[in-house]
Amino acid sequence: MTEKFSDNTLMAYADGELSAPERAKIEQALEGDATLASRLAAFSSTRQAASDAFKPLLDTPVPDTLKSSIEDMVARHEGASKPDPAPAEHDNVVAIASRPRFMGARLDLALAASIALVVGAAVGYLVSTSQTAAPPAGLMTADLSDPALVVALRTVPSGEERALEDVGRFRAIASFRDETEELCREFELDKADASTVVSVACQSAGQWQVRFTVVAGSANDGYAPASSLDALDAYLSAIGAGDPLSPDAEKTALQQLR
Amino acid sequence: MPPTFGQQLITLLPNLRRFALSLTRSAPAADDLVQITCEKALVNQASFTEGTRLDAWLFRIMRNAWIDQLRKNKTAGVSVDVDALTDITGDDGRTQTENTLMLKATRAAIAELPDDQRDVLVLVCIEELTYQEASDVLDVPIGTVMSRLARARKKLASVLGINPGQ
Repeated sequence: MTEKFSDNTLMAYADGELSAPERAKIEQALEGDATLASRLAAFSSTRQAASDAFKPLLDTPVPDTLKSSIEDMVARHEGASKPDPAPAEHDNVVAIASRPRFMGARLDLALAASIALVVGAAVGYLVSTSQTAAPPAGLMTADLSDPALVVALRTVPSGEERALEDVGRFRAIASFRDETEELCREFELDKADASTVVSVACQSAGQWQVRFTVVAGSANDGYAPASSLDALDAYLSAIGAGDPLSPDAEKTALQQLR
Repeated sequence: MPPTFGQQLITLLPNLRRFALSLTRSAPAADDLVQITCEKALVNQASFTEGTRLDAWLFRIMRNAWIDQLRKNKTAGVSVDVDALTDITGDDGRTQTENTLMLKATRAAIAELPDDQRDVLVLVCIEELTYQEASDVLDVPIGTVMSRLARARKKLASVLGINPGQ
């Protein structure tokens, strides 16, 4: 008798996920069926226990430093017309007002991610005033011909963002050395057309060279989705990427470039 | 005047911290993650769909940001402190009653769950998301949400001595 209700059905009942007719069926069967009631209780009591156990966390005061930092962040974003209070050396950081983003049906990003693998000098684009080559149209998604991007690669610490005029929003993700000990940086770029690209650029003969680019598509919440980054993982292992540099090590490495 | 997006965000800070703590199991890492999440949320608030749950949308951003961090740090080795989740709360210095011991035991049992089971348990049973909302946050089908949730509940029940069918 009780076997006609699966565990999943009972769990869904305990979680309020069933329709009224489905609920009625279970409630009818519960009368006089202690085994069924006990199976159901296992689901409702674990829900209750988990909820009770985590309730005190909501009453734990949010640390003042965190709260004021978020409040500042909110004020910065909501008062987009106010002058940016950032110090002078950060004057290329602007509070980005919300911008229109791709709002269509959510794409299956794992499939939709168009992956452009840019390996080495074959299609890599050496930046130099003397040897500038035309970028392969449609492939170069992180165009190093833009001086602002080159500056950002040299100056923005990992974990920080810069809004780059005519380029988009630049996010430094991590710095590491490849197996030949060249300095590489992983970064993301939210481009003006609302696409996000994830790239790896490495130093070679004093120049930044884009080694890898994934067009992560237009995530509807604006960051490269984890699912589209498998190719990046594979690439990083292939080039023998070392551990991410610590903030201090990164600072030193970047300073040595200047 | 309805609360602004930013005000709603601040109101949800305790919930964001709670989920962050469950993901990171480290108080400092949790606070960092909350910051990152709020920044991303503010930059991308135009993509939030009015009429849907803001907390679910934020949890999705948070979890993806956390996975991203794990991916970046995996070669460096992430230190996870299982005690962070159990010690952070409920210890107000008073004599521990049977009840507070039970709460601690429950938190410990949840902390020990595999990550994917814990995520879904926290979202559904603690943050009270629907299966559909949890499925959107985690980017997995509802069937997967349910099977992970059932496994998590069974483990929790057995640790806590709740025996079904007896």
